[in-house]
Amino acid sequence: MATLTAEGLNTGFLPTWCPGCGDFGIWKSLQGAFAKLGIGPDDGLVVYGVGCHGNMYDWMRMYGFPGLHGRTLPVAQGAKLANHTLPVVAVSGDGDCLGEGGNHFIHAAKRNPDITVIIHDNQVYGLTTGQASPTAKAGFKTKSTPDGATDEPVNPLALALVSGATFVARGFSGDFVGLTDLMAQAISHKGFSVLDVLQPCVTFDKIHTYQWYRQRLYKVADEGYQPTDKFKALEKALEWGDKIPVGVLYKEDKPTSEDREPALASAPLVTSPVQSAHWDDLLKEFI
Amino acid sequence: MMKSVTWKIAGEAGFGIMSSGIMLARAFTRAGYHVFADNDYPSLIRGGHNVVGVRIATSPFFGMNRDLHVLVALNAESVEKHTNELHEGSLVIFDPKDKDWQQGEVPQGVRLIPVPLRDIIASLNADAVMRNTITLGATVALFGAPFEHLSTVIHDQFIRKGQEVVDQNEKIAKAGYDYIHEHFPNETSLTLDAGTHTEKLAVVNGSEAVGLGAVRAGLKFAAIYPMTPINAIISFLADHAKEFQIVYKQPEDEIAGINMALGASVAGVRSMVATSGGGFALMVEGLSLAGMIEAPLVIDLGMRAGPATGMPTYTEQAELLFAIHAGHGEFQRIVLAPSDATEAFDLTVQAFHLADRYQVPVFVLTDKYLNESQWCIPVSYLQKPVTIDRGKLVTGDTGKADGEFLRYDPSPADGVSPRSIPGTKHGQYYANSYEHDGSGHMTDDAVKRKEMVDKRMRKVAAMAADMIPPSYVGDKDADITFVTWGTTRGPVTSAVELLQAQGKKAAVIYFPWIYPFPTDAAKTLFAKAKRLVDIEQNGTAQLAQLIRMETGIDIAEKIVKYDGRPFFPEEIVERVGENKT
Repeated sequence: MATLTAEGLNTGFLPTWCPGCGDFGIWKSLQGAFAKLGIGPDDGLVVYGVGCHGNMYDWMRMYGFPGLHGRTLPVAQGAKLANHTLPVVAVSGDGDCLGEGGNHFIHAAKRNPDITVIIHDNQVYGLTTGQASPTAKAGFKTKSTPDGATDEPVNPLALALVSGATFVARGFSGDFVGLTDLMAQAISHKGFSVLDVLQPCVTFDKIHTYQWYRQRLYKVADEGYQPTDKFKALEKALEWGDKIPVGVLYKEDKPTSEDREPALASAPLVTSPVQSAHWDDLLKEFI
Repeated sequence: MMKSVTWKIAGEAGFGIMSSGIMLARAFTRAGYHVFADNDYPSLIRGGHNVVGVRIATSPFFGMNRDLHVLVALNAESVEKHTNELHEGSLVIFDPKDKDWQQGEVPQGVRLIPVPLRDIIASLNADAVMRNTITLGATVALFGAPFEHLSTVIHDQFIRKGQEVVDQNEKIAKAGYDYIHEHFPNETSLTLDAGTHTEKLAVVNGSEAVGLGAVRAGLKFAAIYPMTPINAIISFLADHAKEFQIVYKQPEDEIAGINMALGASVAGVRSMVATSGGGFALMVEGLSLAGMIEAPLVIDLGMRAGPATGMPTYTEQAELLFAIHAGHGEFQRIVLAPSDATEAFDLTVQAFHLADRYQVPVFVLTDKYLNESQWCIPVSYLQKPVTIDRGKLVTGDTGKADGEFLRYDPSPADGVSPRSIPGTKHGQYYANSYEHDGSGHMTDDAVKRKEMVDKRMRKVAAMAADMIPPSYVGDKDADITFVTWGTTRGPVTSAVELLQAQGKKAAVIYFPWIYPFPTDAAKTLFAKAKRLVDIEQNGTAQLAQLIRMETGIDIAEKIVKYDGRPFFPEEIVERVGENKT
C-alpha cells in the first residue's frame, strides 16, 4: 500500500483562488495534517461551508460535504453522531461560521462534539467580492462599509472559550509548518476544536497583508504560555494590535457529545443493527 | 344499552385532564372496546379551559361525533361552556361545591349527577388535583363496567411511582365508583353493551405512531426542536433511545435540525426531523439541500393553525401546497398524508424505505388532530415484520479505482445512483450543494447540468412502482363522492355512513400518497363520480388546487373549515345538504 502523502490528497483539479490567497496555505496545511495523522481519502469527512474557503473540496481528495452557507457545524455534528469513529473536520469561513452560522457555533461549542472547525478568518466576504465579514475590525473599509466598519468585530476565540470549546487555537496561513502542526493537534484533540486561521485576502484587503501579519504575530509557546487556564486564554484571545498571539490558547479534556450518548457505547450508529428485541416490551407501554 | 358513548372531561390545565382521557381509553380497550380520544386546549400550562373527549364503542369508528353523553365538569365554567352540546339523556358529573346546578339551568332532559369531589378528596387526605380520578371511577360505574377495567390501568400507570401511589389512586377512583352505585343505583341509561373485540389494542397518539414507525424502520438519528404538536415524538424517542440504539439530539433551531439529520444521513444512518409549519419554514433551505445531494430524509410535518404562531394547539391542513412547493429550485420529493394513527405508523415505515430507495426527502404530513389524539391500533398490526430496504446503498469496498466511483452516476434509468458513505473504501465523493458531476465535483457546464437534472427528474416516473393509489370507500354508484386527504378522512367516512343511513348513496376518495400526485388513478376515479365534493381543513381548498393543477379537473363544490377544530360528521352532512340545489 502506498504511503499516504499530502500530494496523494490532490484531485487533479486546480485551485480557482486568487494567486497568493491565504486559502492556499490552509489547504496545504490541512492536507499535511491529514497525511501526518494517516487519514486517507476514504477515512474522513470534511464539511465545507460556502465562501472562497468552501471551494477547497474540489482539490481535496477526501469524502466531502460542501453544504449550505453557515451550516457546516450541524452537518458535521450529525455525521459525527452517525459514525463517531470517523474523523470529521469543518472547513468554514468567518462569514460562514460567525455570521450565517453564529448560533450553530455557540451550540456546537457547548456540546463539545469531537470535531474540528477551521475558520478562514480574513475579515471579508471574498466570494461576493469584498463586503465586511463579522470579524472586520472597526474602521475597516470594504464594499459594504465604505466609511469603515462601525460594529464591534466578533472575536471567534473569545466566543469559543466562553461557549465551551475544549481546544481553542489561532494560526496563520503564511506559516505552513506551524499551521500544519496546529491542525494536527486540533484534529487529534478529543472534543470541539476551534482553529481560527488569520489569512490575507490579497484581492479585497490591501491592509492586512502577509507583511502586516508577520510584523505583529508571535507564538504564545515561545513565551512559555501554558494553555490550561481559561481566564488567561481569554486575555490572550482579546489581545489584538501591535502584538497578535498565535498558537494553542486553551486545551481541556472533557467528555464529548458522543461520549454522553448511551446509544454509542457499544458501536457507531452506522454499524449498529436495527434493534427489535425490545419491540414487544415497548408495545406493552401502550396497551 | 349503548353501542357508542362519548365522554368529556373539562376544567383548568394542571388537573390531570389529559391523562384522564388516556386512562379511560386504555381501560376500555382492555375490556374489548374501540376508543378514540381528542383534546382541545389553549397554549398554556396552568389555567385556561382544557377538554378531553373520549368515545368508546363496541365496533370500529372514525372519530368523534356530536353526541355527548357524559360531561365531567371540574369547574362551573365547564358546564356553561358545553351547555350547547348537552341534550336529553346527557349526564353531567360535577361537584356541587363549584356550583350546585339545578334542573332548569341546563337543557331539558339533561340529568345531573352531583358528586362531592372535594369532600371525598378531604376524607381520603388526597390532593385536590386528584378529583379527576374520582370522576374516572364514577364514569366506569355509569357505563356499567366492572371497576377492574380501571384499576388495572391505574396500576400500570402509577406502579413506577410505587405501590403506595397505586393504592391511593385506586382508593380514590373506587370512592367515585362506589358513590355512583350508592347514590345513583338506577342511573343505568348509559350501560354499554359488552366489548366484543378480542385482539389486543394499543392506544397511541399520532406522534407516538410516527415514532413507532420510525423505530420499526430502523431510525438511528433524529434532530427535533420542540414545537407543538409534535412534542410527543421527542419524549418517545428520548425515552427509548438507549434500548433501540438511537440518538435523539435537540438542536439549537430547526435549521440545525435538518442539517444535522442530513449529516447523519450522508454518514449512512436513517434519520428524520419533525416539526410544525413555522419550524419547517426554517428547514426549507435544508430541504433544498437534501434534494440536491439526494440524501434520504424523513420529515414529519405536523400542521397546526397558522400563519405565523397562529393557534398553536389547534388543527389545520393548510400546509399541503407548502410541503409540495417548499424549497428553492426544483427537486423531487414524496408527500404521504396519513389519516389516522395506523396509517401514520405504516406510512412512516414506508417513508424510510422510499427515502432510501429514491434518495429523496419524504414527508409524513400530519396535523395536530392526528398527533395529539389517542387512537387504537391492533397490537398484531404493530408486530408485522418489517423488511428494511436501503436501496442502492453500497456497503463494503466499491471495487472501483480511486476517483472512479460515481455516486451521482447520471446513467441509471430510474435516476437513482449508487450511494457510498464516508469510510467506504474507494467510494470517495462529494455530497455537493453545488450542481455537480458524477463524482460530486462542482460543474456549471450546460450539458452536464441538463444531464444531472434529467437524472433526478427520472425518479418521478420510477416512483410510480411504489405509488399508493387513492382509496375509494363507499357506494359504487354514489350520488355524492367526497374527495379529501389526511385526518379529514375520519369525519368524512362517518358522514358517508350517516348519509347511507338516510338512504343516500355516498363515497369518499382519499389520498394517502399525495405527491407526486397519482394523476391517472385519480382521473379514473373522478370520471366515474356523479357529484364530487372537495372537503378539507383549510381556507383555500389546497387539495382541489393540486387536483386542478395535476389533472385539469376543477372540483367546483368545496366544503372547507379553518376554525382550528376538526369536522364533525354531522356538520358535513348538514353542509353537503346546504350545497345541494
